[in-house]
Amino acid sequence: MHEWSLADAVVRSLLGFMASEGLTSIREVEVTWGEILELDTEIFEEAFYELSRGTPLEGAKLVLRKEKAYFKCNSCGAEWDFKTADEILSREFEIMEEPAGVRESPLHFLPDLARTLLRCPKCGSRDFDLIGGKDLRVSKVVA
Amino acid sequence: MRAPDVLQDEALRRLSRAERLLMVASGKGGVGKSLISISLASTLSEMGRKVGLLDLDVHGPSIPQVFRSERLIRATKHGLEPLKIDGLELMSLGYIVRGSPVPLGGEDKMSLLKMMVALTNWSNLDYLVVDLPPGTGDEMLLAIRALKRHPRSGAVLVTLPSMLSLSVVRRALDLLRGEGVRVLGIVENMAYIRCGGDTVRPFGSLDYASLGVNVLGSLPLDPAVEEAIASGKPPHKASREVMEAISAVASRIEVMM
Repeated sequence: MHEWSLADAVVRSLLGFMASEGLTSIREVEVTWGEILELDTEIFEEAFYELSRGTPLEGAKLVLRKEKAYFKCNSCGAEWDFKTADEILSREFEIMEEPAGVRESPLHFLPDLARTLLRCPKCGSRDFDLIGGKDLRVSKVVA
Repeated sequence: MRAPDVLQDEALRRLSRAERLLMVASGKGGVGKSLISISLASTLSEMGRKVGLLDLDVHGPSIPQVFRSERLIRATKHGLEPLKIDGLELMSLGYIVRGSPVPLGGEDKMSLLKMMVALTNWSNLDYLVVDLPPGTGDEMLLAIRALKRHPRSGAVLVTLPSMLSLSVVRRALDLLRGEGVRVLGIVENMAYIRCGGDTVRPFGSLDYASLGVNVLGSLPLDPAVEEAIASGKPPHKASREVMEAISAVASRIEVMM
């Protein structure tokens, strides 16, 4: 459900960018999203186009690029991917997703909480790096 | 062309939505900054203002210790909804991670702060009070960016009347002024103890004139504050003296903002 608020953030940011750069239209915008965010791309696209309607951004093509995440332990050197991370994720902490009333991990909303919600699957350390796969950013604008 | 920073833009926009943005900071830890933030937010709310309180302390969030809740933070189409307790809107990582550590630094911490602020869906507030952790790190930098672009904003610095605390306040003051942030004044906390009929100043007295900043008020070191927190009572109502001192500070802020 955070797709709408994230799409809103992208649209507003791009509108500010267009104003500051003196752009009256954009042909294409590429948004890179980290897989930890678990975006439903259909909902994100729907939200983006809906929120762009009637603005200078209307007509811009949205290209979504998914970025893989991987984790590397600084204690024992183990490496793991997001699929493994999702399996070992602590279920102790939750956010209530409305209106469905589904309990979700905060990791999908706040990926930088990884060190709070996860431990290295090999040695149990919290001292690991999360490499990529957590951001939402505009990676390309074609005017 | 440099691509926009989506999350920072949204974080600053959401912080700017409140009519007034009030940052509460300190140089040193342990000076009672969170208690002042909480007490100011509660007092402004009791004065009829619609107030939100944002805890930007990711490592040691204090707000959930005072405004306790077992409720889960809700995510809606508009983002993460602040908890509503005692007439305040509250957001703190402590409501999400509870008592667990948040080992983060540098870019990761800034990224977490931006995402949390970018997703928090405040209503139309008269005041958003931002409680910062001690020091002049990432949290203060993000707050400064928001304060600089908000037409009705200001910072309050909390200190003890001790030389050590003051020297750190001076650095924070230099940073804020250098960045063009309006500093409303200093709140002197734990300044004195009432003991029988006497007033004792355990840290002595300081002359703040050299800082060129208003002293918005002085609060006593009162064991009733700790007792209030332990019993779930609002800390600003711990004693008549604390309540009057905080009310006076809040009234001054109202006039200034």
